[in-house]
Amino acid sequence: MMRSLGRRGFLKWAGAGAAVITVPTIAGCRPGAFELCAGPKSKAAGGIAHYFEGFGIGSQVFDRVMAKGLSRGGDFCDIYLQHSVNHWTGMEDGQINRAYGSVDLGAGVRVLKGDATGFAYTEELTEQALLSAAETAAAVADGTPTARPQAIAAVKVKNYYPIRLPWAEVGVDRKLPIIEQINSAARNRNPNLVKVSIFLGDEGTHVLLVNSEGRMVEDYRPMATLWLTCVGMKNGRVETCSESLSAREDIHYFSTDRIVGHAHFVADTVEEMFSAVEAPAGEMPVVLAAGTSGILLHEAMGHPMEADFNRKGTSIYADRMGQRIACEHVTIIDDATNPHMRGSINVDDEGEPGQRTVLVENGILRSYLHDRISSKHYRVPPTGSGRRQSFRYPPVPRMRNTYMLAGPHDPAEVIASVKKGIYAETFANGQVNIGAGDFTFYLQKGHLIENGKLTRVIKDANLIGNGPKVLESIDLVGTDLTMFASGGTCGKDGQRVPVGFGLPTVRAGEISVGGRNA
Amino acid sequence: MSRELLQKAHDVIRIAKRAGALGARASVYRNRNSEVEWLDGRLDRIRQSTSMGVSISLFVDERYSAHSTSDLRPDALESFVTDAVGMTRLLAADPHRKLADPAYYANRFEGDLGLYDAPGAASVTGIDRRRTAGALEDSARSAPGGEKIITVNSSCSDSTYETALVNSNGMEGTARGTSFFLFADVTVRDQGDRRPSGYWYSVGLHRDNLEPVEVVGRKATQRALEGIGEQPMESGTYACVIENRLARRTLGGLLGALSGNAIQQERSFLAGKIGDEIASPLFSLTDDPLVVGGFGSRAYDNEGMTARKLPIFEKGVLRNYYLDTYYASKLGMKPTTGSQSNLLFTTGDEDLEGLLRSMGTGILITGLMGGNSNDTTGDFSVGIRGHWIENGKRVRPLSEMNMAGNHLESWKHLVEVGNDPWRYSAARAPSMRFDELTFSGA
Repeated sequence: MMRSLGRRGFLKWAGAGAAVITVPTIAGCRPGAFELCAGPKSKAAGGIAHYFEGFGIGSQVFDRVMAKGLSRGGDFCDIYLQHSVNHWTGMEDGQINRAYGSVDLGAGVRVLKGDATGFAYTEELTEQALLSAAETAAAVADGTPTARPQAIAAVKVKNYYPIRLPWAEVGVDRKLPIIEQINSAARNRNPNLVKVSIFLGDEGTHVLLVNSEGRMVEDYRPMATLWLTCVGMKNGRVETCSESLSAREDIHYFSTDRIVGHAHFVADTVEEMFSAVEAPAGEMPVVLAAGTSGILLHEAMGHPMEADFNRKGTSIYADRMGQRIACEHVTIIDDATNPHMRGSINVDDEGEPGQRTVLVENGILRSYLHDRISSKHYRVPPTGSGRRQSFRYPPVPRMRNTYMLAGPHDPAEVIASVKKGIYAETFANGQVNIGAGDFTFYLQKGHLIENGKLTRVIKDANLIGNGPKVLESIDLVGTDLTMFASGGTCGKDGQRVPVGFGLPTVRAGEISVGGRNA
Repeated sequence: MSRELLQKAHDVIRIAKRAGALGARASVYRNRNSEVEWLDGRLDRIRQSTSMGVSISLFVDERYSAHSTSDLRPDALESFVTDAVGMTRLLAADPHRKLADPAYYANRFEGDLGLYDAPGAASVTGIDRRRTAGALEDSARSAPGGEKIITVNSSCSDSTYETALVNSNGMEGTARGTSFFLFADVTVRDQGDRRPSGYWYSVGLHRDNLEPVEVVGRKATQRALEGIGEQPMESGTYACVIENRLARRTLGGLLGALSGNAIQQERSFLAGKIGDEIASPLFSLTDDPLVVGGFGSRAYDNEGMTARKLPIFEKGVLRNYYLDTYYASKLGMKPTTGSQSNLLFTTGDEDLEGLLRSMGTGILITGLMGGNSNDTTGDFSVGIRGHWIENGKRVRPLSEMNMAGNHLESWKHLVEVGNDPWRYSAARAPSMRFDELTFSGA
């Protein structure tokens, strides 16, 4: 009964044990700004360090700020600088008649003392403001200096999302024809459509990380997002479908094939919904369609593997490392390195290079997702999972792109194996209680499975299950691993970050379907 | 302080007009937040920051765009606004885009809405926050059943904000407020690997309005312990009581469909239903922005229109939509306001226990999880946890269940409202009893 789960207040009140995800929404992505509002032009060719030097901040300043951060006995200090420029350009009622833009500029200063964090940020990139933030963050410790900032050296990381044209160089005029084309494609596909609304979003974020161990890393993170909503009317019945596409890409992402394909998919889904019946109620086998159903892994498995929950002892998997938690066909990966995927990161928000982490290998629990604090706590190498929404937040362990590797089973046979159940296709959002393991995901559209065949269309049902039990119950894993072409926005600790999913067709039991046909 | 923000808003409007905007609305905010988080006897995280930003809506030759920035360097701001005006010219004209009619700026409430506790804000120190966060943990651990606790995460935070809003067609205003927040999250051990958790919080605009630390800690432990042995029960149609603090989310699907955007874009099951009976006659809901000390109180809305009381439902009959200037114009209606303030309900005579007694047998819902509501059709499905009730008494804890229905039907099953409006939210809903809703479980 809620549409705005992402509200910071709600997340905060929902407590540390609750983690929430929504497929990207207009509300969720900060509205963006006009391209010419980008930062000052680089004084020198090359890296992002120079980009922020354009704001008057250089190595000597970092050194003094980190010395201030460590002045009360902290073990470690880092500075996270960010400059983001976002735009949303929108069409409603056939006219491209609205645009939203935002610029986010600032720096966060963090000081660690053991497992404890001191954090402050400033939107003013001046030495004085940074020193003042460092002084605030330093208060996590209460003694005399023990550590000193090391000499700063830049570290190069691999680029998993190279682009040809930075968004700052793309004017609104180049976005207009794309939006027009999507609108025509959707309307021509389905004459029953009465409303089409389209938002095209782009973002370019420069980040620079510097820490007291002397590491300096930079990243440029592009994002291209298309959000399409179609409303159709037929025989007095109104149905809608909203689906996005999103990737770390430039404007070339919006190729004719891709956008027309998406328009057709959404327009066709509306038509399918006209024949949808109420979903069944009660516990039954669920076949998860390849692709978006990866949200199940995110909720049931991914969040409980985030090491902060385990460090605090609040995760249902806290004592299960090295043990069997799923059948041999189940291997689950959380990965920063998938080219151009929404959840990919070249470097995490603590300066660890992007990497691929095996969470579950042939059914055995192998690794948590770590940030710096938890990897020190568990004395294991970091997994590059420390992420933050922006410079306004300290990093915590987060997922990137979470997916299950393909298994041995023919997808058609997976469906044929179910006598009575549901085939779950598209999802809106999910949530998990970390400690109890209960998780939900909201089914927008699926099919009934009757005697091994897909029959009627169903819609609007919350699915609820116990994560460990559902994971254990997965017995058939298809050969058809599919990455979700969009991804989502995951909320935790009051912070939202872009994530991706993937899943082959799988069969799970013991999921309670929240329909009305009991 | 607010003078400075107001000045900034006027500056931004001046830049926009110089660049050729016919009209503009600018808002400037400054927030200060301080938070201490405590974990199992130790400081876990301190956060403190002051934040400032500018937002501007531009009306350029019947064209519209809106922008925000935290880069307030004068040169950067100047080019930001100027470029934004230039970009707006490339969009399609939209005759419905206008600043609010100045008639709606008149007769603004000028009294004190009781949102700002200056002495409270000035008196909290970093040491206080640490001490309070630690005391929250101590009270959680010393609550009955505290020996089952695995971990306690608590926090103490406070914030102040000030804002200024200026419309180029003759409106300006400032507002400021404070809030204070206590939170405790407790995880306990159950059978096997299960670790149920529960939380409680208290939030107040005035520091004196917070619940005592002991109560917040104790209730968090109590909530976590209630999760021990939770099980779903079989699917079926049951009577239920929804606890007051969940009302905001319970209502979310109903209120989302009242937005001008949803109505005009044909994505609302409430389109064309003003004057229709949507809910039981017990359901009366008023949007009241002028409640002294209300979490959603305001003298003017986001567009600068004077805040007024707005009946939403009267005895189950839908009376008004939430319409901003733009969607009201598109729909050919009069604007009300584009956003919710405080939601006040008609209340009943009994408290929660009284509602459980009148229900006798059924489900008490104490938590909602995941789920969603389809604004277009009114269908909803949401995860719940709570208790199975017999003879008005809690018999066993429930979880892993869903409640499903359609808003157009379900609200007619509201048969009793409590006398216990939830004080810690802009939605001051009482607990509500329904005679039957559909639940799915095992």
